[in-house]
Amino acid sequence: MPSLTIDGAHVAVPEGTTVLEAARAAGIRIPTLCYLKDVSAVGSCRVCVVDVEGEEHPVPACSAVAREGMAVATQSSRLTDYRRVALELLCASCVPCSEGRCAECDADGACELQALACAYGVIGDAQAGAAGVAGAGENAGAVGVVVAGPGAGAPREEPVLDSHPFLTYDPNRCIACQRCVGACNVAARNHTLTTGKRGTRTTIRAPFGEDWRTSGCESCGNCAQACPTGALAVKRRRGYRTSDVERVRTTCPHCGVGCQLDLVVKDGHVVDAEGAPGPSNKGLLCVKGRSASFDFVEAPDRLTTPLVRNPASGQLEPATWDEALGLVARRFTELRDAHGGQSLAAFACSRSTNEDIYLFQKMAREALQTNNVDCCARV
Amino acid sequence: MRDVSIAPRSRADARIADYLERQARRVRTTPPGTCPLVVLLSMVQAAAAQTCGKCVSCRDGLPRLAALLERLVACEADEKDLEDVRALADTVRATSDCAIGYEAATALLDGLEDFADEVKSHLQARACAAGVGQTVPCETLCPAHVDVPAYIALVAEGRYAEAVNVVRRDNPFPTACSFVCEHPCEQRCRRTLVDAPVNIRGIKRFAVDGAPADQVAPPVRGADTGRTVAVVGGGPSGLSCAYFLGLMGHRVTVFEAREQLGGMMRYGIPAYRFPRERLDEDVRGILNAGGITARCGMAVGEREMRDVAGTYDAVYVAIGAQAGKWLDLPGADAEGVYSAVELLGFIGDGDYPDFTGKRVVVVGGGNVAMDCARTAVRAGASEVSVAYRRRREDMTALPAEVESAVAEGVELMELEAPVRIDVDAFGRCTALVTQPQMIGPVRAGRPAPVAAGKPERRMAADVVLIAVGQDVVSAPFEAFGMKAARGRFLADDGLAAEGQAHVFVGGDCQTGPSTVIRAIAAGKVAARAIDGFLGYCHKLPGDGEAPAAWPNDRTPKGRVELAERPARERKRDFEGVECGMSREEVIQECGRCLRCDQFGCGATEEGRVQHA
Amino acid sequence: MLGSGAMTNSIEDITRQADLVMLVGSNPEEAHPVIGMQLRAAVERGCRLIVVDPRDIGLAAQADIHLKLRPGTNVTFAHGVVNYLIQHGLYDEDFVRERTEGFEILAATVRDYTPERVEAVCGIDRADLVSAARMYAAADAAAIVYCLGVTEHSTGTDGVMALSNMAMVTGNLGKPGCGVNPLRGQNNVQGACDMGAGPDDMPGYQKVADPAVRHKFEQAWGMPLPAWRGLKATECFPAMLDGRIKGLFLFGEDPVRTDPDTHHVIRALEALEFFVVDDLFLTETARHADVVLPGRSYAEKEGTFTNTERRVQRVRKAVEGPAGPWLDTRIFAEVMNRMGVAQPQLSAAALMDEIASVTPSYGGVSHARLDGEAVAGRGLQWPCPNAEHPGTPILHESAFPNGLGAFATPEYLPSVELPDEDYPLVLMTGRVLYQYNACAMTGRTRGLDEIAGSSFIELHSQDAEALGVVDGDRVRVTSRRGQVETTARVSGKTNPGETWMPFHFQDANSNWLTIAALDRVSKAPEYKVCAVRVEKA
Repeated sequence: MPSLTIDGAHVAVPEGTTVLEAARAAGIRIPTLCYLKDVSAVGSCRVCVVDVEGEEHPVPACSAVAREGMAVATQSSRLTDYRRVALELLCASCVPCSEGRCAECDADGACELQALACAYGVIGDAQAGAAGVAGAGENAGAVGVVVAGPGAGAPREEPVLDSHPFLTYDPNRCIACQRCVGACNVAARNHTLTTGKRGTRTTIRAPFGEDWRTSGCESCGNCAQACPTGALAVKRRRGYRTSDVERVRTTCPHCGVGCQLDLVVKDGHVVDAEGAPGPSNKGLLCVKGRSASFDFVEAPDRLTTPLVRNPASGQLEPATWDEALGLVARRFTELRDAHGGQSLAAFACSRSTNEDIYLFQKMAREALQTNNVDCCARV
Repeated sequence: MRDVSIAPRSRADARIADYLERQARRVRTTPPGTCPLVVLLSMVQAAAAQTCGKCVSCRDGLPRLAALLERLVACEADEKDLEDVRALADTVRATSDCAIGYEAATALLDGLEDFADEVKSHLQARACAAGVGQTVPCETLCPAHVDVPAYIALVAEGRYAEAVNVVRRDNPFPTACSFVCEHPCEQRCRRTLVDAPVNIRGIKRFAVDGAPADQVAPPVRGADTGRTVAVVGGGPSGLSCAYFLGLMGHRVTVFEAREQLGGMMRYGIPAYRFPRERLDEDVRGILNAGGITARCGMAVGEREMRDVAGTYDAVYVAIGAQAGKWLDLPGADAEGVYSAVELLGFIGDGDYPDFTGKRVVVVGGGNVAMDCARTAVRAGASEVSVAYRRRREDMTALPAEVESAVAEGVELMELEAPVRIDVDAFGRCTALVTQPQMIGPVRAGRPAPVAAGKPERRMAADVVLIAVGQDVVSAPFEAFGMKAARGRFLADDGLAAEGQAHVFVGGDCQTGPSTVIRAIAAGKVAARAIDGFLGYCHKLPGDGEAPAAWPNDRTPKGRVELAERPARERKRDFEGVECGMSREEVIQECGRCLRCDQFGCGATEEGRVQHA
Repeated sequence: MLGSGAMTNSIEDITRQADLVMLVGSNPEEAHPVIGMQLRAAVERGCRLIVVDPRDIGLAAQADIHLKLRPGTNVTFAHGVVNYLIQHGLYDEDFVRERTEGFEILAATVRDYTPERVEAVCGIDRADLVSAARMYAAADAAAIVYCLGVTEHSTGTDGVMALSNMAMVTGNLGKPGCGVNPLRGQNNVQGACDMGAGPDDMPGYQKVADPAVRHKFEQAWGMPLPAWRGLKATECFPAMLDGRIKGLFLFGEDPVRTDPDTHHVIRALEALEFFVVDDLFLTETARHADVVLPGRSYAEKEGTFTNTERRVQRVRKAVEGPAGPWLDTRIFAEVMNRMGVAQPQLSAAALMDEIASVTPSYGGVSHARLDGEAVAGRGLQWPCPNAEHPGTPILHESAFPNGLGAFATPEYLPSVELPDEDYPLVLMTGRVLYQYNACAMTGRTRGLDEIAGSSFIELHSQDAEALGVVDGDRVRVTSRRGQVETTARVSGKTNPGETWMPFHFQDANSNWLTIAALDRVSKAPEYKVCAVRVEKA
């Protein structure tokens, strides 16, 4: 357990902990754009640089390992300058951001670049938008090497990869932080999303273009969840702004892994799902959890009224709850009383909740007086 | 199935090496006179081309730096831009993961410091500083600014005498330079872009072999001016100065302490590298200029200097660096321990040592150390070693000299720092004891050795030769009134000695121990300065027009190197070791010259100007 | 046997601490994708992987050894491994002595399962069996992970027991990175079993047959309970046909699509006198019902799911949902009340409190606790007997439910229906990544159908060549029970003579073909093996 000081606070952390994680443990926030725990520590954004006593140059907190006796300083005017320059460079690579059009971006208010750039005064109040960072803009225009600087060049317009049913990649909003690369390769380990073009033209080779079917992509969308800007996103993201929604933490309704997910709710409708840090899923989701776990809730063919078969027509016809339940109670009672509980059976649903199933089997054993109780565990 | 292959991950990597070498050659041959900010820009662009794309500071910062530098280079930038460059470069340096980023930024920041004048000129004058502008590389980089393309073209046509006179227009030692010049003219030879630098020294050797310098008539001496100039020191610098002053019509007296003229070319460089009879050709050629009187055996001390200064209209002090540096080692006063300068000095007058059966250790890593070692081999030593405290690649000796020494059986003991000399009961040295070193951090541009944790080494030695540099014997002249600092005389760029109206000083005694060609260049500059001081502006006479150029031969070829006599033969005598080219070889070598005097910048108005 | 069907270990300790994972009849990359991702990470960090599967599943490419055995021969394989370990002294003598019983009988039973016999029955190279056995035994922590490829056979329970023997003889139980771990198929199939949705078990696997258990529940619920042995669902269908069962309340299942031998299922449902379905949609099954009751989806209710690692986690209401449907608990309580059983309308939280009060393994579970800071969103793994208990990530750390672990010694029995002249090919069924079961949920997301929207049958290229079928051809697949038309995918993914179909797609539902042969213990149907004939359509 190396112990170190961060901004004067003493912290002891397990061997191998990074300075950034150690700071988080001590409640000290070090800004970062490319770091995502267990997903990516590539160290591309250089926003998390901190000073370590005895080191001439700052080190990235996301990859520097905490060592015994280390003295770390996370704030100084020098570090602020470095961070601001890095943020200016990053803002310059996002077309909406560099053109002052954050408000037009789906990620407005959820964009981590926007929030940090505001906090460091790289973009002004006008662009702070829904980010609403306290103190945003107070340093605005302090350096301006990059965004307004010479040689910024004409804004490039690269084609958006938009053929995939659920996922989309807009290179014009990409800061090449490589979180998505980590999500695909380190977290999901699917190895289909990589960096492309390399060097100063580094971009993301996202398999969402016209050849998406042959890419080996599992469509899990963990890359989209990792993206700090609006570059790589699930298409549903276009349907809402972050200020308009609330999130409800729940458990995925598909397989038995029990992934934790947040249903994103806007005006009483589920509009999206995001992976949450559950013990079995570590923030990951699969294609079904992310993209197919809620459309059915409001599917047009959802039953909304009881149906009772008309003996005359042989057809199922709408009925009131009272009629339907009355019939159910009456017929089961008759069969039970006439032939005993053995003549009845009740099969529960392996998809429903424990509470539902508990009461269902209680109903079967008490009211139907039957032990012919089962669920679809075997099918 | 695993995805394994013996093929490289990137198939281009197997083929790219050739292109990297081509690019490296291009960088190495950056023409003299290139604006340093352009070099910085292209370095930053090259770094941007190397970025892996991970760190934003390098990936996005370097192209942005390049864009800002473009403005600076174009003289469109202002102070704010420069501040932005510094701030951005500082961030790149501080926050890039790997050397591709941080080294580029560090070099840029260093460069902006080192070339602050150029930066200032771009910002304020909106132009490059004076002197920036391409000139012919070989001619520019030759300290004496010899018209290299011209004499190469003359040699190609078989016009050797004219070639010799083209050389002598700027350098009266064509023979010396054909044997021992370090040829800075070849450093950025443009032919390197195609294959390798032209072997300029070898071509010059062919010229002087074809037309010995003493048999080529020098230009006609100008009208006698009646002005007298004393030259103190008959080495390359003094004799060069005397030659040009003589041609101008002045009356020159050369004072030489030794028995013969030539300085270190005779008393420092062994005859097997530069045969004495060939040196004599240059000396005779110089004296042929007329108006020169040589007074050998005339050592000039304080009193003599006062006399000379009182007698002559001007004095050129070119006394060289004659005192061998000594190592303050225990036992260094033992019998058998000699200074390299001492040893080579005796040989200069024909007094060869006899080391038959002796074990010789030379301490040092310069050309003089190699000269001593190879001389010791020829003097019959049973074993010759060179003990050097750095590594072989750190030696200041020319690599070819080191290689030749090794071929002759000299053993290099690298990373061995002398500690003491063991002495027997009779006061004779028995061994050099050294402390093994390891190479450490770079200090003042070179990796410095530090003591390694290894036991001392004892090298048995009957003779120890100390070749760790030379000092200027400046005391008598300081007593006379000349100024010196750190063992070197002080003078301005025109070589006028500080504090003395009519005394000029140049060569090794002003620069510290250096090359023959730099000493010659100083003599030439001094001659012009003295001419001016005396109230004249003589044009240096000369003849030999450069023949018209043929189109470039662009076919890559090998460079013809000068062969040496077989080591097993040459190590037994003091005869010259280097063989000249054949006519066939020299024709090919001359054909490789790209004639930069007539193509490219050489054809421009300012392309040939060496001095404003 | 180790007790009830649940993972002995947790996903996290298996994927992060195992030195070896033996994956048997499980394709987690498609059926449990997020476990698949973590298993890929485990393999990439250096965990060894042995895949025992008749198909070239995705992970097989990364496996140290892939035993591409014949479907339905798991018992022989596992016995072969155990026999080899015993014969070569590669088992954990201390663990066997201290923690198990019946080793001698086991040794005697498996003695005949020589590598030669395994080679003959399973169709794998004996050398591969030996290296797999040695690799499994050499690992410090070796986890067995299995899925329906083991259980969905007429000998499924035998397969599970045989695998358990491997873990017990090597002491790979009760510590991190080990165990015998079924990946449960559906989100709450574990919870459904836990909650007593089985004929023999009251909640928490308390046996109906035990008078003390019945007494306890009668006291708690205030009603006499039936004591007779109930039928499992797959046994009920024949009972419907012969009139023993006349009424059925079906909650959220769609057996017409999901159960084997669809013709048989439909005939059974049609024979019922009264049939009630509670579902979100008018499923194929609901079309045969007398009454259909619209229920609520998971997004519209509070509750809990219990995942495959026995972890009870919260389900929270996100939206009201469409007007009209009732909460399912309200429906059940109303039916009970109308049938004369007093049942108050309770919130899900209150129901969980009741569950905790009667179910020892859930004794410490409550919504309040699950929502609390101490649990911190990590759920609780049963057994969790009281409110102070932290839950149990790893089962059998010091003892088995009955003290010592008993070795079970079933003999290998072939699948019920083997290929013959008329039906020369084996049909296996399974899942694909992009759909879930009968597509009740996934079928309503546009886009998934674009990625994977229709059925297919995987044919081995040798068989395809013999049939004159090329990749992409339409083919007719016929079994003794039915016929479907689908698209051929020709590859080497299966062994020659074997075929595979996903069971999701209604355009050619594989259950028209599958056989309703049941495991003698679990009564799980043999989805994984039946005999078919394939012809060019």
